[in-house]
Amino acid sequence: MKSDEITGIQVILDFLRSKNPKLGEDLDPDLDLIDSRIIDSLAFVEFIFVLEAASGREISVDNVSVDDFRTIRSISRRFLDGAD
Amino acid sequence: MQDNVVAERLDAVVSRLSERAVDGYYNPYQLFKWPDSIPEDAPWMSEELLSCYGTAIWKELSTDERIRLSHWEAVNFYGLNVHLIRDLMLEVLRRIHTSRYPSVSEFFHHFLGEENEHMWFFAQFCNRYGHKLYEDKRLPFEATEWSDPNVRDLVVFCRILVAEEIVDFLNTWMSKDGNLPPIVRQINAIHHQDESRHIGFGRQMVTTLWAAASDAIDDAQREALQSYLGRYVLFTLHALYNPAVYRDAGVPDPYGMRSRLLADPERSAFHYRVTAKVSDFLDRINLVPRDSLQL
Repeated sequence: MKSDEITGIQVILDFLRSKNPKLGEDLDPDLDLIDSRIIDSLAFVEFIFVLEAASGREISVDNVSVDDFRTIRSISRRFLDGAD
Repeated sequence: MQDNVVAERLDAVVSRLSERAVDGYYNPYQLFKWPDSIPEDAPWMSEELLSCYGTAIWKELSTDERIRLSHWEAVNFYGLNVHLIRDLMLEVLRRIHTSRYPSVSEFFHHFLGEENEHMWFFAQFCNRYGHKLYEDKRLPFEATEWSDPNVRDLVVFCRILVAEEIVDFLNTWMSKDGNLPPIVRQINAIHHQDESRHIGFGRQMVTTLWAAASDAIDDAQREALQSYLGRYVLFTLHALYNPAVYRDAGVPDPYGMRSRLLADPERSAFHYRVTAKVSDFLDRINLVPRDSLQL
């Protein structure tokens, strides 16, 4: 895993914990963030901006789907150049 | 809806508002005389409404930088209107001529027609003078949390009302700001004129739906509803802080600027001013207590 990706994931985890203080230290990378309501529609735009800042790339929502944001693993793969 | 309660209670209001919509009908495609350009050395949005007004960042900006920011924030504001209108039209379209709202459908026709025209002139402004619309960053999520149809519709019409009231605060202000180009003042004045009817309708609709829904939910659902609506108010306000705007205005760290602004107490005070009327309304009907809002 590249260092940029690790930093990006840490930023994302920090954001998710700031919105959900009850989240523990160990977050399953395959946990469904949408179904478990860790990210909801009102937090989503904020999350996009966090991802854009972490990745250094603007994200066009015309080119993504909700599934891209379901898990830490899918987010990393889609936006942070992370491999499976 | 059950026993057609909405139809009965809204009858008088929608009948009156429909008549006013017919009497006040105008052709927006002929009404506006769009200039080829508007002055680049003048603000396009009132400075008091800009997202960094009153903060330390505002004080750091030169006059030219403030004017440049006002251009892109204007394009963002009207683009935001376009996106909000598209959403509310979709929701109203799903409900027009359904069994739940037989007596409101006549007004829905006026509502949809007027909103379509608003969306047109807001998009005209963005494309003519900004040569773009900022992208809507929302993605549609399944709204599964509100199973009761009265609660589900209450949430929808409450969202519409909140957005309309926030936008109307800015429209009213800019319609009177002599520093702005005439076409900007006119767009804002016309929108304010139509929205006063839509807000009147929205308040009646929300009041009626809440009366029907409040008995159907338990304390936990009520708390969840209040929390959601409070967050929606803040969510709508935050749409005024767009990193893409800051980038276009030449800000080196647009995301950092957004974070700094959202943490600034001056901006929180502004949020309370912008939402004072709708907060009073939601508090008065015992839907969202004013002191529960964290803006």
